[in-house]
Amino acid sequence: MKTELKIGVISCSGEECLGGTISRLATRKVLEELKMIGTVTLCLPLYLAGGEEERNFAKVFPTISVDGCNKLCAKRSTEKYSGKINGFIDVSKIIGNENALNTKIVRNKDLKDEHFQMVDKVAIEIVKMMSGVCPKSYSGKFDGCGCSG
Amino acid sequence: MYNKVKVVPCSGIGKVYGLMAREAVLKTVIELCPEKSETVCLAYIVTGDKEVKEKIEGCDCITVDGCPKMCALKNISIVGGIVKEEIKVLDTVKEHKGKKFGSPTKLDADGEAVMSEIAAKIAKKINEIN
Repeated sequence: MKTELKIGVISCSGEECLGGTISRLATRKVLEELKMIGTVTLCLPLYLAGGEEERNFAKVFPTISVDGCNKLCAKRSTEKYSGKINGFIDVSKIIGNENALNTKIVRNKDLKDEHFQMVDKVAIEIVKMMSGVCPKSYSGKFDGCGCSG
Repeated sequence: MYNKVKVVPCSGIGKVYGLMAREAVLKTVIELCPEKSETVCLAYIVTGDKEVKEKIEGCDCITVDGCPKMCALKNISIVGGIVKEEIKVLDTVKEHKGKKFGSPTKLDADGEAVMSEIAAKIAKKINEIN
């Protein structure tokens, strides 16, 4: 029996600055709109608040972290509690540090076209990184390719 | 030194209630009580870094959670924050049965209205504390 390849995308969703909002929205966009492959996600704080199942997330799924700033909280926490990740995205490298650390525009309602363009750019980078994930990294549970053939 | 109340949402990414928690907290700290409150990235708290522990430890905090796993509450407690109020989004949502709130990406009009209601509850508590 073939198992569908799934990839975990875990976002920092940081509340203090725009980078966190962009990381959250880009991750949602990949989940909702760019369904090139099965995608799953986990609320990052579940590593501490949840159980063993949550802490084994990155051991089960090949995982990519998406961080809003160069503190790389999602990357570091995933590797600390859950296991080695397959790739990481630093949103500040894509949208610029000044934008990422903007503390004035954080709420969804304050976002303008330029911010949604940032979301698109980050989502594209997530998809690019996903396409480079090796199926063999699927913890031994994967025994087929991601195609439908 | 005067410490602002730390208001921390779960920002859960899987359900609309996580977004409601997030937006309610941001509305509170940016619009309703900017002088008395601030938020701290929950993801940063999860790292357990010394700098963020020092920011939270011994401080008055309000947590806002979107699901019964109570991630914000648990994580704030772990780093030594003094939780003055644990707000559960679902408590307010229950008062609005049958309404559609939106998605984890975007709140609908009812979602915005209930989010504002939650923000008002947070602001009320902040004003009681400070």
